[in-house]
Amino acid sequence: MPGIIGFYPFGEGRENWNACRFLYYGLNALQGRGQESTGLSFFTKDRLLNTVNSNMMVEDFFKEKAESLKEGYIAIGQTSPIKNDGVIHIKEPVELVCVGDGKPNLHSDKIIAFKIFSEKLSQKIYELGDALKATKSIVNEVSGGYSFIALTKNEEMICGRDTHGVKPLEIGAIGFDIGIVASETAALDVMGAEYTGSVNPGEIVVFDPLSIRREICDKSNKKYCSFEYIYLARLDSYLNGISVSKVRENVGRALAREKPVKADVVIGIPETALAFATSYSEESGIPMKIGFIRTGRYTRSAIKPTQLERLTGVQLKLNPVRYSVDNKDVVLIDDSVVRGNTLKSTVLDLKRKGAKRIHVRIGSPALVAPCPYGTEVPPRDELIGGNLSEEEISYVIGADSFSFLPITKLIECIGLKKSELCMKCFGIDWEVE
Amino acid sequence: MKVMGVGNGAREHIIAKKLAESKYKPKVYWVGELRNPGIVKICKESGGEYEICKTTDSEKVVKHALKWGVDFVFVGPEEPNFYGVPDKCVKNGIPCIGASSKLAKIEMSKAELRRLQWKYDLKGKLLFKTFQTAEEASKYLEKYSETLTWLQNVALKPARQAGGKGVKVVDDRHIYLHDEKDRFKKQHASWLEGYMKSYSGIEDKILIEEKVWGPEYTLQCFTDGKVVKGMPLVQDNKNAHEFDIGTETGGMGSISGPGIILPFITQDEYDESLKIVDSIVKAIQNEVGERYCGIVAGQMMITEIEGPTIIEMYSRLGDPEALNVLSTLKTDLIDICYSIIDGKLSNMNIEFEDCVTVVKAIAPKGYPDFRDLAKNHPIIVDEEKIFNEGCEFYWGSADLRDDGSIITGGSRICEILCKSNRFEEASERIEKCIPYVKLGDGWGVFHRSDIGSSQLLARRMDVAERVRRLYHYRLEKGILGKRFDWLPGFGIVDPVAILKKSLWG
Repeated sequence: MPGIIGFYPFGEGRENWNACRFLYYGLNALQGRGQESTGLSFFTKDRLLNTVNSNMMVEDFFKEKAESLKEGYIAIGQTSPIKNDGVIHIKEPVELVCVGDGKPNLHSDKIIAFKIFSEKLSQKIYELGDALKATKSIVNEVSGGYSFIALTKNEEMICGRDTHGVKPLEIGAIGFDIGIVASETAALDVMGAEYTGSVNPGEIVVFDPLSIRREICDKSNKKYCSFEYIYLARLDSYLNGISVSKVRENVGRALAREKPVKADVVIGIPETALAFATSYSEESGIPMKIGFIRTGRYTRSAIKPTQLERLTGVQLKLNPVRYSVDNKDVVLIDDSVVRGNTLKSTVLDLKRKGAKRIHVRIGSPALVAPCPYGTEVPPRDELIGGNLSEEEISYVIGADSFSFLPITKLIECIGLKKSELCMKCFGIDWEVE
Repeated sequence: MKVMGVGNGAREHIIAKKLAESKYKPKVYWVGELRNPGIVKICKESGGEYEICKTTDSEKVVKHALKWGVDFVFVGPEEPNFYGVPDKCVKNGIPCIGASSKLAKIEMSKAELRRLQWKYDLKGKLLFKTFQTAEEASKYLEKYSETLTWLQNVALKPARQAGGKGVKVVDDRHIYLHDEKDRFKKQHASWLEGYMKSYSGIEDKILIEEKVWGPEYTLQCFTDGKVVKGMPLVQDNKNAHEFDIGTETGGMGSISGPGIILPFITQDEYDESLKIVDSIVKAIQNEVGERYCGIVAGQMMITEIEGPTIIEMYSRLGDPEALNVLSTLKTDLIDICYSIIDGKLSNMNIEFEDCVTVVKAIAPKGYPDFRDLAKNHPIIVDEEKIFNEGCEFYWGSADLRDDGSIITGGSRICEILCKSNRFEEASERIEKCIPYVKLGDGWGVFHRSDIGSSQLLARRMDVAERVRRLYHYRLEKGILGKRFDWLPGFGIVDPVAILKKSLWG
C-alpha cells in the first residue's frame, strides 16, 4: 500500500524542471499510505539514474538528503509502510528503477516480489527492445494486485496496473509541460496538477520524450480494492473516478440506517472515521461533537509495525474531549478493527471520562483475512472480526453495542458491482468464487 | 470556372475537396510549399494544376493566379494573410477569400488583438502586458506580482502568432512551489526572447496574459465584412499526448456537434461568442478601414472572469477544426465564396449536417518541438482500408516526391475524420484506421486515442459546469469582467485601470 508518484516533463526546456521539488509535496500528500520509508530516483541531464532510499518519513528524508536531491527533471518515488522498502534499482540488462504499490504474485514479501518484477521487466525490455510491448507481456504474465511506475535509462517512464486494477493509479497534467502519475488524485492536487484520467486495469502507459503510448492487456477486468475507499485513500482523492468522500459519506449514512440506536452524541475517531461520523450524524439526527484532540504530528497509527507503536500512536493521537462525552450516550465510530486493542483502550478512556453508554460502529466490514496484495493486515488468527461475533467483541472492548458495516452495504456505498471489487480481506475471494 | 487555393495542410486538402465538389465543377489550381498528395490528386482530376511556391511570397502566389487566370483565390493558412497575399490578389483584380494583412493583425499580433479589445471595450478580453526582453518581463513579474494577483497565474506567449509554438501556461497558485514556477517563467521568457528574434517587423516580443481556465472551443465564421455567420462549434485538443499531457501543438484532433453547439457549451454561450467575434471584426475594420472578406474564427474559452472569452483570433479556418465544419457543410462552398466576395453573405442560407464529427491527427514522433526528428520519413497509407471503415482521410504535412514516394514534412502527417451520431463510435472507428498509417523506415507516429472518448467529454462537461457557475454568479452580481485586488495601506486596486493607464496614459 505505498504511495507512488512519477513526474515527467515534455517539450523544449524540459530539463529545467526540478522534479524532486514536486515529489516532495506529492509524497507528503501520500504519507497516509506509509510512513516507514521513503525512496526516490531521478534522471539527470547527463542521463544518469540516481536512487536514494532511507527509513525516514518524507519530510525528514528530504531534509536529510537535500544535497543529493537537487537535480533531476524526471523522477519517481514512494512512501512505504515497510522498513527497508524503497526504489528498486536494476542495473542490467536494461538499467531501470521501479516503485510499486500492492504486490505481484511473485513472492510473499512485497520488496522481493517487486524486485523480481523489476528484473523481469528489465530482461523483457532488453529482449523485445520496446518498453510498451515488454511491459504488457510481463503484466499479462504476472498476476496479483499491484500498480507500478518504472523509469529506464532510455528516458522512458512506464506505469501500469495489474489486469484487475486492484491498486489505484491516477494521471494528471500541469499546463503544456508535465505529466504526473500518482497513487491518488490528492497528490496531483497538491503538486498543482489537474487530474486528467485513471490508468485502467491492465493498462500500460509509457512516457518517452516524444510521445505517450498506452495499451491494455488482453484479459483485463476490474477488481478495485474496496479497502482503499473506506480506509487507505485520502478523503480528498478520487480513485478510478469515484470520490472517496462520497463513499465515506454513504458509509456513515448506511451505518445510521443499519443498526439505529438512541444516543446523545456521535463521535468519530480521527482521522478516517470523522467523515463517517459526519454523515451518520446527518442521517440519524444525533449531533456530532469533536471527541478527540491530537498531540504531535499526524501519524497513521493503525499502520505502525508494532503493537507498542500502534497504542502509543493512538493514545497520543486521541486525547478525549471530556465535555463532549461526559454523562452522555455515545455513538463511537471507527474505520476498522484489526485486533481490537486500540479500540478497547479508546472505549475505556471515554468511559473514564464519564460516557454513559458507548455504541461502537465500524465503517467497514469485519476484517477476516490478510490481504494477499501487501496491505498490512495481521494473520487470520489475530483478527478479532474473524474470530468473534459482534456481541462478543462488544464485551471484549467494553462497549454497549458493536457492529460492522455489512458487506452488502459496503458494495452499495461504493456504487460498483460486487464482481468489480476486491474484498478478499472481508472474506470474499473472487478467485475462488 | 477556375479556382486557386494556397497552403498544403489537411485544412487545405478539405478546402480543395469542397471546392472541387461544387456544382460549378471548377478546375482546381493550387500552390503549396510541399506537394500535398491529396490536393495534387484533386487538382489533376479537376483538370487544374499544383505548383510548389513559397506561400508567403505574395508576388509569386499572385503570378500563379494570373498565369492560370483563376476566378478567385482561397487562402488556407494564416502566414500568407500576414504577408499580404490577399492584398496582392485584390490589387491584381483577383477576388480573394482571406483577410488582408492589416485585418489579419488580429491573429498575427496577440498584443494588437488585446489592445483592440480594450480600446473598444469589447467583451471576452483578458489582462495582458507586453515586453521587449525577458529581463524586462522577469523584473515586472517580480515587482508587481504581490500587488497584481493576476501576474501570479499567467500564460507566457510569443506576442506574435508563431505557429502555435511557445505558449506556456504557468499556474502559480501554490506558494510552496512558487520558486520552481518562477524560475520556469523566467527561463521561458528568455527562451521566447530568443525565439522571437527570428520574427522581424513586430514591436512586442513577449506577451504575458492573465491565466484562465475553462473549456475551450473554436467558433469559425464566414464574413463579408457586413455580417459574420457562425459555423458549428468545434473543440480542439492542443496537448500533444493522451490525458491532456504535453506540449502545445497546432491541434491533435477535434470534435463537433451535435447541432451547432457542443455538449458542454450552451446556445446562449454560442450566441454570445458570435457577438464577440462579430465585435472584433467590426472593430478591426473600423481601425484599418478595410473590408474583411473571408474567414474569421475565435479560439475561445468559457472563463470565470468574463464568460465566453477570446484566447486567440484566427484569420482563417482552424486546423484540424476546418475538417469538422467543412465535412458537414451542405451548402455549395463556391456559392458561399461568391456571396462573401460580393458582400451578399446576409442573403446566404448556410446549412450543415446535424451529426457529430471526430477528427484525429497522426504526427511523426518529434512533432511539435523537435521537427528535425519528425522530418523526412517515408509514409505508407492504406487509404482504401480507411475509407472502408467509414472514415475520411486528409493529407497534412506530407510531400509527394517525383518518384511517387511520400515524405513527412515534420508536422502532422494526416487527419482522419469520422461522422456519426455518437462521439464514442466515431472515435472507435478512427482508432481502427490508425494502423493503416505508418512510416516506412520504422520511425514512430503518435495520435491521441482519447479524443472523442466519453471520459474526455465527461471531464470537459465537468469543467464547463464549474466555470459556468462562477461566471453566472458574477453576471448576477453585476461584476462580470471586473477584477479586484487589495493593497494594505492603499485600498482596492483595479488592474483594469492600471492596464488602461499603461496603454493610453
